[in-house]
Amino acid sequence: MSALAFFLIVVSLLSFVAAQLILKRAMEFSAANGLRNSRFVSLAAIGVALMTISFFLTLGLLQRFDLSYLYPFQGLSVIFITLLAAVALKENLSARLMLGALLITAGIVLVSIS
Amino acid sequence: MTNDHTRHRPTGFGNPWLQLGLSVLCVFVSEFLLKRGATDVAEPDSAFSWTGINGLKSPLVWWAILLIIASFISWLYVLRYVPITVAYPLSRVVDILVPLGCWIFLGELISTTRWCGIALVVVGLGLVAKPVAQIEERL
Repeated sequence: MSALAFFLIVVSLLSFVAAQLILKRAMEFSAANGLRNSRFVSLAAIGVALMTISFFLTLGLLQRFDLSYLYPFQGLSVIFITLLAAVALKENLSARLMLGALLITAGIVLVSIS
Repeated sequence: MTNDHTRHRPTGFGNPWLQLGLSVLCVFVSEFLLKRGATDVAEPDSAFSWTGINGLKSPLVWWAILLIIASFISWLYVLRYVPITVAYPLSRVVDILVPLGCWIFLGELISTTRWCGIALVVVGLGLVAKPVAQIEERL
């Protein structure tokens, strides 16, 4: 794998993780304040833009690598999102949830490399 | 559970767990369409194709995009009611549905390592889902 491919995989993963957290924030905000306000619209727009970047980068990578090769990186998103949601969104993170997220990540990586 | 909306959520088609299931189903189908579509129009020698935009030449990619938009709308709805620390790990059930789908529908073999990985994901999903099930019981 070239350095460029690795870089694009990392950018794709990070933009996906950031998008999920921003969209969660947007939906929480909309639950309290409705859909017609500029803060919800701008948060949702940033989330969708980041998802789109991640989508097209993945489409470019899929032309060069097998899905099974790219999947372990998607698996890592579970652990990143769980940890960052606890930090950035102050969601409750029990030991049980953390262990569950770790096992899911490990399982996805195993499934992909086998 | 910090999110109060988990306690006041709609039932029927608006049930967030049903929507989570629909979202997963759409992603499951779109993964196959995307890989097939991307392979059909692959131009590995062109630098532009790193952007993935040339993938739009494939109709399968457009079907996948429709499904992704549908799953995205369901997903946003789920996020409104369920903490992402619970919803996101559960949504990754799709990562074992894809190999299981290849096994059931395409007759592909699953190695011992892969079965172990699937087992780990199932145990992890169980750990994440159990507190949710307990909350449901109390309701």
